[in-house]
Amino acid sequence: MIEFDCVTRTYGPKPAVTDLSLSIPRGQLFALLGPNGAGKTTTIKMLVGLLRPSRGTVRICGHDLVKETRAAHLHTGYVPDEPTLYDKLTGREFLWFIADMFGMPRSIATEKIGREINHFELANYADDLAESYSLGMKQRLVFAAALLHDPDVLVLDEPMVGLDPRSVRIVKDLLRSRTREGMTVFMSTHTLAMAEELADRVGIMVRGQLRFLGTVAELRDQVATGTTSLEDLYLELTTMPQAASSDTSPHEPNGTP
Amino acid sequence: MRDTLGSGMQAASCQLMTAEAESRALSRLRATIAWQTLRSMLSEARLRVALVVLLSAVFWGLLYGLFFEAFSFLESIHAEVISLLFNAFFSSLMIMLVFSTGILLYGNMYCSDEARRLLTLPVRAEAIYAHTFVEAMWFSSWGFILLGSPMLIAYGIVRGAPWTYYLLLLPFMVSFALIPASLGGMLCMAAVVWLGRLRVQALAMLLVVMVAGAGWLGWSLLGSAVTAGGTAAWFDTVITRLSIAEQKFLPSWWLSSGLIEAARWREEPEARFASLVESVAFLAVLVSNGMLLHLLARRLAGSSYRQGISQLVGEVPIRRQRRISWFDEALSATGTVRGRPLRLLLVKDLRLFRRDISQWSQFAIFFGLLGLYFWNLRSFNYNLAYASMISFLNLAVAGLIFSTFTTRFVYPMISLEGRRFWILGLLPVHRDQIVWSKFLFSFVGGVVPSCGLLWLSDSMLGLPPGLVFVHQLCGLVLCMGLSGIAVGLGAWMPDLREPSPAKIAAGFGGTLCLVLSSLFIVSVVAIAAFPTYLAMASEAFGGGGPSPTGIFGWASGPLGTATSLLIVGVLGAIATIVPLQLGLRAFRRFEP
Repeated sequence: MIEFDCVTRTYGPKPAVTDLSLSIPRGQLFALLGPNGAGKTTTIKMLVGLLRPSRGTVRICGHDLVKETRAAHLHTGYVPDEPTLYDKLTGREFLWFIADMFGMPRSIATEKIGREINHFELANYADDLAESYSLGMKQRLVFAAALLHDPDVLVLDEPMVGLDPRSVRIVKDLLRSRTREGMTVFMSTHTLAMAEELADRVGIMVRGQLRFLGTVAELRDQVATGTTSLEDLYLELTTMPQAASSDTSPHEPNGTP
Repeated sequence: MRDTLGSGMQAASCQLMTAEAESRALSRLRATIAWQTLRSMLSEARLRVALVVLLSAVFWGLLYGLFFEAFSFLESIHAEVISLLFNAFFSSLMIMLVFSTGILLYGNMYCSDEARRLLTLPVRAEAIYAHTFVEAMWFSSWGFILLGSPMLIAYGIVRGAPWTYYLLLLPFMVSFALIPASLGGMLCMAAVVWLGRLRVQALAMLLVVMVAGAGWLGWSLLGSAVTAGGTAAWFDTVITRLSIAEQKFLPSWWLSSGLIEAARWREEPEARFASLVESVAFLAVLVSNGMLLHLLARRLAGSSYRQGISQLVGEVPIRRQRRISWFDEALSATGTVRGRPLRLLLVKDLRLFRRDISQWSQFAIFFGLLGLYFWNLRSFNYNLAYASMISFLNLAVAGLIFSTFTTRFVYPMISLEGRRFWILGLLPVHRDQIVWSKFLFSFVGGVVPSCGLLWLSDSMLGLPPGLVFVHQLCGLVLCMGLSGIAVGLGAWMPDLREPSPAKIAAGFGGTLCLVLSSLFIVSVVAIAAFPTYLAMASEAFGGGGPSPTGIFGWASGPLGTATSLLIVGVLGAIATIVPLQLGLRAFRRFEP
């Protein structure tokens, strides 16, 4: 579903992502972790077509993000780290706009808008202007819009920021059920507990390179030296000496990435 | 076209849209947003809307009267000059529209959250360009509509134009604006993709070349007056030089020729019809060229927009080590402890001003051009009456230029602070000091160049010290009042949701600020000039007879001047205190 093939992106002379090769199959929830400046946002931006790789290709459902951008976007839902909405549109009008943009027939759009409004408990606010929404409500609406067309790939950039515990639970349940149905999720997060709880596989990025790729259990096996929490493991991995990071192949217990 | 690759969950429910469907969906979006905005304005701020509409109507009426008088005068003396003036006006306007649309499009296409969201949807880049273009064109052209419509309607009435002229006005204006706007769009995209980081330097160079060109033109026009002495020969020279704008390949020529043809009144129906056909032919040239350029711009967007935004998003900001300026240090360190917060706020605004190229470059260009013009005034040999009339016009021009700056940059300052209110709101600073710091920043920043330029103008015109004093006082009052209006209204009706200062200034509050500022300038200049005008009139009509007596005699004497200055002072105080009081009160109650 998602393929990064030897992807490098530089900002001027400075590499932000170096030689990233990664394949995420259908129905998998992948969490990308890493300290600030590791290259997570660059990776996400390349995945949603806002940035073009300097080298290599990024594909979604077989579509090259540079050559077949629109076809790739048709299969993608995106929840950015900051929910950007039109202040002067109501929640329902915004969802209708997204349905229009994905060329959904009217009857299907009506049904799916109703479904997402129910899922995200937006019924009481759906006809209010978005300018009156709280950050959490905006984030829920953005989630509803991203899932409206039942995307094959959902890209999430720090998805739980601003959500209350109930909304977090709704999103978690939804992610679990959608991935069971075959949706692939690519999530960038700093919340280690959520990655541990939800992710089928995690990747840890440090200075533009994938330092680790595998399950949390594999991470424990490979890195832990008497520590048990993911936080300790993460900190240990991301503060490893520079020499270790120059090794371009990530720790990959199960062979190729 | 249905996308069948990928065999996803959603393949049955969505599909890639046709270009027409994309365009329809984005048009619906714009229409819904416009309707919702209008509805909330009418329900939440009726008084404000009514005030803005009323003042805009007054402004429009004043402009209409001014243009009517000007066209009547020209019609009676030099009817052929109108074509030349139209060409000069529209060609200058065209250059301004290229730049303003280009700059607005840069913000809309490359820096806005909306564009970035749209780019993650399955929409053609051309459609996103067209969507952002509509907004940019509207924001850059509304001034043209506001200034152009009274001018062109006045022209039609003076010429006794047939009804078809008025019918054709809007299509002419829109199709004309489409050409520079599309050119601006293409320049903007080309600059981002092919010039990369050099785009800022390229823009700066282009501006320098334009300013130098304008300076050269001004110098060559006015310089000739030295030899010709402001006579008919000089007038002919000016006409010849200005004819540079009368080029048949320029859209401004198509527009002015089409309008002049449409306004032509002929007795015979055949001749009338021929004029109409000729005018429609010019309109067709404008429309077809506008559409062609728009199409080319869309093509360019299709091939370069995504690449451009990728380059731009990937740019690493240049890291510059900033040293603390001695002036900033001196300003924050001197003075009382009690006034220190206010001085620190001033230093912060000063730093932001210095580091924002769009602010100081506009300031430098406008006042620089004005300085160049004033400097050239020495080329003429005026009599005192004529020189004093020009000096008051110069006073009005200096005020109007400062008012564009206060509306564009000072008015949005409080709105922009409101967005960062978590910083200022938590500081141990009284809210009033924030508003006062903006006022001082604007007033001091305006009064130094304005009064300096007025002094230059008066020196070049060789005016007596009394009149120089009157102008200096008026300059002071204008800067105080204009700063009060901009800061007061900015605090009274802040727009906290809009991050772009250009859009805040172009909104309702900004328009009100511009209209009130213009009315204030006109009132101050008219009141201050009245005694001089009376003195000139009595000199012209009295012809060596006895001096005017009664009220006119009193008004044209020193007492009249003193009274007019007193009224100007009172007017300035009202323009400063009333908006500032409204703003201070609103800002004290402000809840972000």
